[in-house]
This record gives sequence, C-alpha cells and structure tokens, in this order.
Amino acid sequence: MYLAALLIAIPLASALLSFFAGKRIAPYLSLASGVVSLFYFLLLMGSYDVVKNYLSYNTSLAWIPEMRIFFHVGFDAAAVLPLLLTQLIVTLSTLATFVSGNDRNAAYYGLIGLTHAGLNGFFMAQNPVTFYLFFEATLIPVYFLVLQYGGPERRKAVFKFFLYTVFGGLLMLAAIVFLQFHMREHLSLAAWDDFYKNKLDLKYQYWLFAAFFIAFAIKTPLFPFHTWQADLYAQADRPSLMIIAAVMSKMGVFGLIRFDFFFVEAIYRWQYFLIPLCLIGVVYGALVAWRQNDMIRLLAYSSFSHLGLIAAGILTMANLGIQGGLFAMLAHGLAAAGLFFVADVLIRRTGTTQLDGMSGIARLQPRLSAYFFVIVLSAVGLPLTCGFVGEFYLLWCLAEYKPYLAVFGGLTLILGAAYLLRFYQKTMFGQTPVHITFRGLSLSEDYVLIVIGLLVIVLGFFPIHWVGLGQYAFRFMNHLPAN
Amino acid sequence: MMTAFIFLCLFAIAAMFLGFTNIRGAIVPLAFAGTSIALYSVISGQPFWNHYLTGMVETGGTAKILCALVLLNALALIPFYAWYERRGQEEVGDFTGLFLFASMGAMLMVSSTHYMSLFLGVEILSIAMYVLAGADRRKSKSNEAALKYFITGSFTSAILLFGIGMIYALTGSLEIAGAVEVEGQSLLQLAYLFVFTGFALKIAVVPFHFWAPDVYEGTPTLFTAAMASLVKLASIGAFLRIIQLNVDLLPAWLNAYYAMLILATLILGNALAIKQQSVKRLLAYSGIVQAGFILMGFISLRPGEEWPVLFYFIAYVLASVVCFVVVHFVESREGTDALDAFRGLGQRNPILAGTITLALISLAGGPFTSGFVAKLYVLNQAVANGYAALAVVAVVCTLMSVYYYYKVINAIYSKSADQALPIEPVYSGLLILFTLITLAAGILPSFFTGLLK
Repeated sequence: MYLAALLIAIPLASALLSFFAGKRIAPYLSLASGVVSLFYFLLLMGSYDVVKNYLSYNTSLAWIPEMRIFFHVGFDAAAVLPLLLTQLIVTLSTLATFVSGNDRNAAYYGLIGLTHAGLNGFFMAQNPVTFYLFFEATLIPVYFLVLQYGGPERRKAVFKFFLYTVFGGLLMLAAIVFLQFHMREHLSLAAWDDFYKNKLDLKYQYWLFAAFFIAFAIKTPLFPFHTWQADLYAQADRPSLMIIAAVMSKMGVFGLIRFDFFFVEAIYRWQYFLIPLCLIGVVYGALVAWRQNDMIRLLAYSSFSHLGLIAAGILTMANLGIQGGLFAMLAHGLAAAGLFFVADVLIRRTGTTQLDGMSGIARLQPRLSAYFFVIVLSAVGLPLTCGFVGEFYLLWCLAEYKPYLAVFGGLTLILGAAYLLRFYQKTMFGQTPVHITFRGLSLSEDYVLIVIGLLVIVLGFFPIHWVGLGQYAFRFMNHLPAN
Repeated sequence: MMTAFIFLCLFAIAAMFLGFTNIRGAIVPLAFAGTSIALYSVISGQPFWNHYLTGMVETGGTAKILCALVLLNALALIPFYAWYERRGQEEVGDFTGLFLFASMGAMLMVSSTHYMSLFLGVEILSIAMYVLAGADRRKSKSNEAALKYFITGSFTSAILLFGIGMIYALTGSLEIAGAVEVEGQSLLQLAYLFVFTGFALKIAVVPFHFWAPDVYEGTPTLFTAAMASLVKLASIGAFLRIIQLNVDLLPAWLNAYYAMLILATLILGNALAIKQQSVKRLLAYSGIVQAGFILMGFISLRPGEEWPVLFYFIAYVLASVVCFVVVHFVESREGTDALDAFRGLGQRNPILAGTITLALISLAGGPFTSGFVAKLYVLNQAVANGYAALAVVAVVCTLMSVYYYYKVINAIYSKSADQALPIEPVYSGLLILFTLITLAAGILPSFFTGLLK
C-alpha cells in the first residue's frame, strides 16, 4: 500500500538526517540512501507486472478532502525509465562529490536528498495536483543548491532560472485550478487513468494546453524559452549539475507525455506549429554548441538540442514517439551525466572550463579517454549504444509525420557528432602540454565512469524490453479516436 | 468568555503596575499565564458571568474560533516582549500591558454581535496600538509612525462610525444582525459601503493601503509583528462576522466590490513591493497582498464556509510573526532593516535564516507549506463562485511576489564576512515551532480544517 511512497520516504529521511549529521557522515548517508533507493526501485521493478497491474504500489491519501484532492503516487509504465534514471544519477552524483578537498557541508547532501525525493515523487505522481506539487517542490532544493554552492555569477543565473520556471509553474497551477474546480462536475482528477477519459471542450483545451505547454517548454527548455539554461549550467556546482542536466531537464518532456493523452485534439491541431518549433531548437542548439569554447556551455546547448528532438517526437503523438521519447530520456540522461562528469574531472584538474586551455589528455590519461569515447559515441547516437535506439525511434516517427521534418531532426546526429567529436578531439588529442601534471582517476571517478559506460553499452545491445514499456503508457490513446 | 475579558484586563493592569517594581522579570511570564488562562476559558466555553455581556458578544461558533486564534496569536508574540527587559528600562510593563489590552480589544472585535461593542473593541485595540507604534520614543521614525497611525486610525474610526450611525438612523438598532426590513434601502447600502470601507482601511487593502508601509516601517519591529498579525486578524475577523451576521441582507454589489479591491490589491500591492529596499516595507506590502488573498475567501461567503478564511489566518499569522521576529533580531543587531543587512544571514545564524526562508516560501505559496493550501482554498472559493478570471490573475500576480520574496532569500544566502548573530535558545525554539506548524498545516491540512469547522 505504501510501497511507492517509501521510494519518496527513503531519500526524504536521509535528507532530514543529513541536515543534522556532521560534515563527515552526511556524504555516506546520502550515498547509502541513493544505493538503497536504487535497489529498492529494482526490487519494485522486478515484481512489477505491467500487463496485469498497470498501476502498482499505489499510495492514495485524501489530502484535501474538501476539494477532493488526493495525494496519489504509484508506479506505472511511463514512470519506470525516468525513475531508473533518477536513482542512478542521484547515486552517481553523490559519488562524484567523493573527491579530495570536498568542502561541501552537510546541508548540500540534505538538499540533494530533498531533490531526490522530489524527483521520485514527480515521476510517480498519479494526478495533476500531485504532479504540480512535486514539480514546484523539486525546484526549491535545486534553487538553494545552485545559490549556495554555485560559481561566482550564480546569483543572477539562478534567479533567472527560478523566475522563468515559477512563471511556467504558475501558469500550470492556474490551469490545474481551472480544471479542478470549473469542470468539477464532469471531470475526475483522481488518477491519470480517469483523467484521460474526460472530454474537454476544444476551446478550453487550447488555453489549458497552452498553459501546460509553456510550463514544460520552460522547464525542458524548448526553443524560445531556453535562455536561462546555459547561464545556470555554467554556474551550478558540477556534481549537482549532473542531476539538473540529466534528470531535471526530463521533467518537462515527461510532463508532455503525461498530459498529451489529455490534450489530444489540441495537440493534433497545433502539431504543425509546435514540432517545427522544437526542431528549430534542435538545429539552433547544435549550431550554438558547435561554436562554444566553454565545455559546460557546449554541453548545455547540446542538451537543449537533444531535448528538442525528444519533445518533437512526443508531440507527433505516435506510439513510437512515446516509446522512443521515454527511452531517449534515459539515454540522454546517462550520456549527459557522463559528459558533465567528464567535464567536471577535466575542470578540476586543469582549472579551466575553456576548450582552448587543454589538449593531449589521452596520452596522460588513456583510461579517461576510453570512457569518454564510449559516452560520446552514445551521445552522438552510434548504433549499438543506447543513444541510437531512442533517436532512431524519434526520427522514425518524425519521418512518418512529415518526412522533411525528419531531415531537420536528423541534423542532430550529424551536428551532434560534429561538436562532440570536436570537444573530444580538442581535449584528448593534440600536443600534450609539458607543464601539466594530470592527476590519475580516483576510485570513485573510475566507478562513476564505468557504471555509465557499461549501462550505455548494455542498454544499447538489449533495449527491447525497456523500449517496450512505452507502448503500455501509450494505451491511453485508445480512449480517444485518432485524428 | 467574560472570564477571558476579565483575566486579560486584570493581568494587563498587573503587568503595568509591576513595571514600577523590581520584579520586571515576572511580567512576561505572568502575561503569558494570563493569556493562557483566557485562552482556556474561551476554548472550554466557560459560562461564568456571561450574562453580564447582555448578548452583545457571541460566545460560540466562528466567534469562539476567532477569539482562540487571537489569543494564540498573542501567546506566540508575548515571549518575545521579554526582549525589552534587557534594555534596562521600565517600559516592558507598559508594553506588555498595552499588548494585553490590544488582544482584549481584538477579542471583543471578533466576537461582537452589536455595533457598540464592536466599536469599543476597535478603539481598545487601536489606542493601544497607537501607543505601541510610538514605543521607541527616541526615534523620530517611531514618532512619525505613531502620529500617522493615529491620524489614519481616527479617520478609519470616523468612517466606520459614520456607517454605523447611518445604520442606526435607518433601523433604530445597533444589533449587527438587526437590519431587517427598512425603508430607504439605497441609504442602507451607502451605510454598508461606509462600514466596509472602514474595515478595508483597517485591513489595508489597495486603495486604502497608503498608511501601512510608513507605519510598519517606523514602528518597533516586535510591535509591527503585532500590527501585521493581531490587528489584521481582528479587523478581517470582525469583517467576517459582520458578513456572516448579515448574510441575507448583503447588497448585491458586494462581490463586485471585493473583486475590485482584490484586483487592485494584487496588482498594485505586488508591483509596489518589488522596488522596496527595506524589508519591513516589503513585508508591509506583502501583508497588503495577503489581505487581498484573504478577501478572495469572502466572495459569496455562505454560513459554514468560513474555514478557508480561518485557515488562511493560521498560515498568514504564523508566517508573518516569524518574518517580523527575524527582522527584529537582525535589525536590533544591524541598526537597519535594509535588504543589505540580511546578507549572509544563512551563515551568521542558520536558524533565523531557515525559519524566515520557510516563512517567506509559505507567504509566496510554495508547495508543502500552509501558504500553498491556504491559497488553494481561497482560489477555490473564487473559482467556485464564478470568478475564475480573478483567480487566474491572482495566480499570475504571484510571480511578482515570488520575485520579491526570493530577493530576500537570495540576500540571506549570499556570502558575508560578518560575525555570528546568536539569539537565545528559547527564541530559536519558538521560531522552529512556528515553522514546524507551518509545514504541518501544509502537509496535513485536513487536521487543521477539522479543528476550524
């Protein structure tokens, strides 16, 4: 009954303990909570039967009974892959702080734990109000993580990010308040299952979908709302950036998946406008990434570009789009976390974020260059890595929608290869500077890179079980006539 | 109920006289004890001597809940007045005594069924607060605040009294629920307009807010806390009771009147708060905006539906008490309440920083705090009665409030080289307690609404 809620409770408890634990204990506490959550999640997933019990381990509590608002979390097919990603990345990000000279205090790990709990709650949320609660609740610890542990320009960057996201969140809240109360006779918001069955007038759908879409477009970010992203990433503390870039950036596209079965008609009407908008972001992000000299900014724009493709695929409303979108979220999360971690390793050793500042590291540190190469291959979508599977599905359904749009979408593969290989080549190859002493990889760093590298390959070889999960989420489309 | 009034008066007088003696340390505990006794007698519904109230005071229902809230609010503030002992002045007796009188006035206001006792309550509360506004008599700003508060307060009383007088002239009765069948309906509506506007002035909603920021800024911060919580609670509570008692007679334009006030308050109040550099002024505007939100719960209010407003009181009072108390501690060390004085508070005293941060998040309506649920309740009230557009404007205006609340939080968690700012463990404990209640009311709202129904 409370099995799903336990996945929120574990990191939450560890977070609260961390705030009071000493500086020495807190990292281990946080790591332990990450590992325990991961194994607990695997346990739940192992006994999860998607066919028999689509929604399992329900926890539904009457939160505000006067307004028939329920706190409802549970485990469903759409949530599995994002949850897996969350447990993995949070654990790895905690591990990434296990470096010599780690001066993060106990509050840092407390905030990481709160973020972890919020993300788990977000992905497991089973009705719009719970969804909104965790959407906003996750923002607050991340705000403090960047505000307290970020770079010198963090204040402005985080404030911009915060206001943007809160604005989107408030639009969503207005829409949910409207849904909750204005339509209460006809509408049930107790669980997604019932929620999708509701019929909403088209004129309302337009407005409400616009509110939700802007919220998700800001959070992801999608094309015209992306200006906060590179600034925030450049200033964030890098281990926590792994969570922000790999998991939090998925909240927006995941929201699209959650709500697109509800706004079906509105999406069909607006597809012709929204999908090109996402694809503009794909090409634009890739081109800007190409010209970056700052590693973090390069990766930020690369992330922006890839997420545009995921959103475009989801908005085609095809079965393959949802499946590919969910899998690409996992793949991109792993690759992004890996790339940001490699950037962190490089920056800590060379003291610069500029690509110009480093070269020839492969000779100093061949192991690092090998891990890095595997991750880059996945990020550019090479077959037999997990990056390929997701992008292939997404491009396929784009091609089915409008073939010429797939050409633009396909540019992410080409341009992605261009800027990521440029990144790889500039840092790893070339003249090895004589004056640099490059510290070897520590055990924890090795570990993070091995886990990501292995997963990228294993998921690339055996994707079918994972990708298939998406089609169970897609069954909600059957409630409604297609097009 | 009568016993509560008697105990508050007796302890207030005792506190004032103890100020002349050497045992000033006993004043605050005594005031706390007296208020606790009053609270007990209200909650237990002590009937002793109630017949002397001659039906001018309601002793049950919403009035009882409001009285309990007023006294709880007083209990939350009284311990902090011990701070005045350390200045080595005899004023602690006067201040505490006046505060007890103010609480009594507030109680009388929210429990009246008669315009006479209502006006008496307004005056008892106001006159005590005028003096407390000027408590820091060596500072010109405090004097200025007292004078401004006195003038606008008198103006408010005059408008209120004018309305009451017209009602008396038309109905021949001062019973709040007494206006049944009258000739000259239109004149009665004018009378209501005067009464409501008097309360709008007291509550400080736009366009009747102009006095609040100046008065809040000049008043010693611990009494600003009382002004923001107790006075607002009493004024809105009394307003609520008038609406409740007249529910069948209310003019048709009332909802439009609320909507106009709310719209002006949310847009202008938020817009004016953005530029503030003084945290007290910022919180004054924030209080104005919160009052606008509370008014949203008044739209088409039916008997038995008061609990959203009451819940909002809990959320608002807790958050604003915490905010002003923390401002008080910072101000008393730094000598200023400018935003810059809060820089680095996160390092200087994590408890002060953490509690004010959560209070501000609650005021902004962050998830899992009481502020969020409270806002949801009143938004529900607005949407359910056909004011969906108003609710949407309110939600979007919240963006502005997020901007200025987080401006303060941003300052608190910036780095600074200043030394630590220690406070007594009792005060830390109280602040943490208020914060925990804020969170509890956000996570388990049904428990609290159950108490309020």
